[in-house]
Amino acid sequence: MLVFDKINVSIAGVHVLRNVSFDLPAGSTCALVGHNGAGKTTTVRTIMGFTTSRGVIRLAGEDISPVEPHRRPALGIGYAPEDRRLFSAFTVEENLLLPARVAKLSKDETARRLERAYWVMPELKELAGRPAGSVSGGQGKMVALGRALMLGTRLVILDEPFQGLAPVLAQRYAEALGRLRANDKDITLLITESNPKLVAAFADITLTIERGEIQ
Amino acid sequence: MDSTIVILAICDGISYAALVFLVSVGLSLIFGVLRIVNVAHGSLYAYGAYMAATLSLLVAPISPWLTFPALLVASVLVGAIVGGLMERFLLRPVYHLEEVLQLLITFAVFMIMDNLQRMIWGVQPIFAAEPVKLLPNISILGVNYTSYQVLLLPLVAVITLFGLRYFLRYTLAGSIIMAVTEDREAATAIGIDARRVFLITFIIGASLAALGGALASPTTSLVPGMGTDMIVLSFAVAATAGLGQIEGAAVTALMIGLARAFIIYIQPELEVLVPYLIMMLVLLIRPMGLFGVNRVRKI
Repeated sequence: MLVFDKINVSIAGVHVLRNVSFDLPAGSTCALVGHNGAGKTTTVRTIMGFTTSRGVIRLAGEDISPVEPHRRPALGIGYAPEDRRLFSAFTVEENLLLPARVAKLSKDETARRLERAYWVMPELKELAGRPAGSVSGGQGKMVALGRALMLGTRLVILDEPFQGLAPVLAQRYAEALGRLRANDKDITLLITESNPKLVAAFADITLTIERGEIQ
Repeated sequence: MDSTIVILAICDGISYAALVFLVSVGLSLIFGVLRIVNVAHGSLYAYGAYMAATLSLLVAPISPWLTFPALLVASVLVGAIVGGLMERFLLRPVYHLEEVLQLLITFAVFMIMDNLQRMIWGVQPIFAAEPVKLLPNISILGVNYTSYQVLLLPLVAVITLFGLRYFLRYTLAGSIIMAVTEDREAATAIGIDARRVFLITFIIGASLAALGGALASPTTSLVPGMGTDMIVLSFAVAATAGLGQIEGAAVTALMIGLARAFIIYIQPELEVLVPYLIMMLVLLIRPMGLFGVNRVRKI
């Protein structure tokens, strides 16, 4: 489903990813674990096209390396960045709907995906009318996941979703991932995490990255 | 102070503020989205004025009323063609450079455009006052003033303010611009083409500057250097309001416009000083501007 073939990335002259290769089957849940600065975020940002990389990235057999970053979400990739990065000028529901509006999805399809996001995270329905800038850090992580689900029909990338979450919220977040996994067996999940224990329970594949290399 | 002078100063201030607002809100919008201080924005004001005068002189013999749509057509032409080409070929290649280099490059663009303007329209003053003559004068407490300046210009400014706010808040294109303004990478991650947004925003901002120039053209003689005066003043307004603040630009334009108009009647030699004095005082107390908010800078 997602193939990294000898990916190399340099940022400001520093070699951040070195010949990173892996192959994630469709429907798998992969945990990419490593210390801070190991290259986890660079790996997921490379999938989204936010870095200049060498090597080949394939999604469902298609080489997406030449695909412009703004066209990658339309391939079915949803991305929840580490620091949430919600649009504070909009409400929570507007944040969820904007990707669908940009992708020009039909009303029915938009409603279906919104319903899916609410089903996975019922808390979002209660937050729907709140300004995104006013939600807590943990709630913001939920919203970021919901937004990623609006476009992520094949691959959902969650960058350090548990970082900074209170235990109760981390539990809810894990339950939401469990519901998503149970509901959609074909979707591929890629989760980065510093603490392997947090993702051990639901990851089928664990990749360890250190100093830009898969161990 | 004589009440006649007070009324005249208020009318002068309001009409001038309307023009300054149009230019400064364009500058502010471009900065908000592209994060670039475009010194060449003043050239777009001047090109709007010259293009409007050219078109007005062309269509006036057919019907003087055609000079009004000519003002609008001139703004759109300058915004779309000059603004579009400027963004695509001069600014896009420098977005990744340091801010100080961007500033120098837009200054170079400004100088080039200023010289091009002299080559196209010459250095002799151009007059095209038809639209002002077509609308009647109105009497305000016994003081006569042109309705073009005291009614039409503020009306266009108010429509622009509310139109822009509506566009940004309630349309998809506006929401996309807002998203890119807030976080370019997060916007790209949901499928937004930030480069296209930059181009569209620049064209809107450039059209607003050109509209300011076009609307100013019937009220003054067009001379080389008019863009310089306006870019400096509109930068003062945008900086005083807080770069990226639309409503703030309106309030600040009015404040600076009125202060400038009053000082002309009270102490004319201070005319140039007053806007910058206000800017300096405001920025000393609130470096982010009157309406600006502190942002956490992402590195």
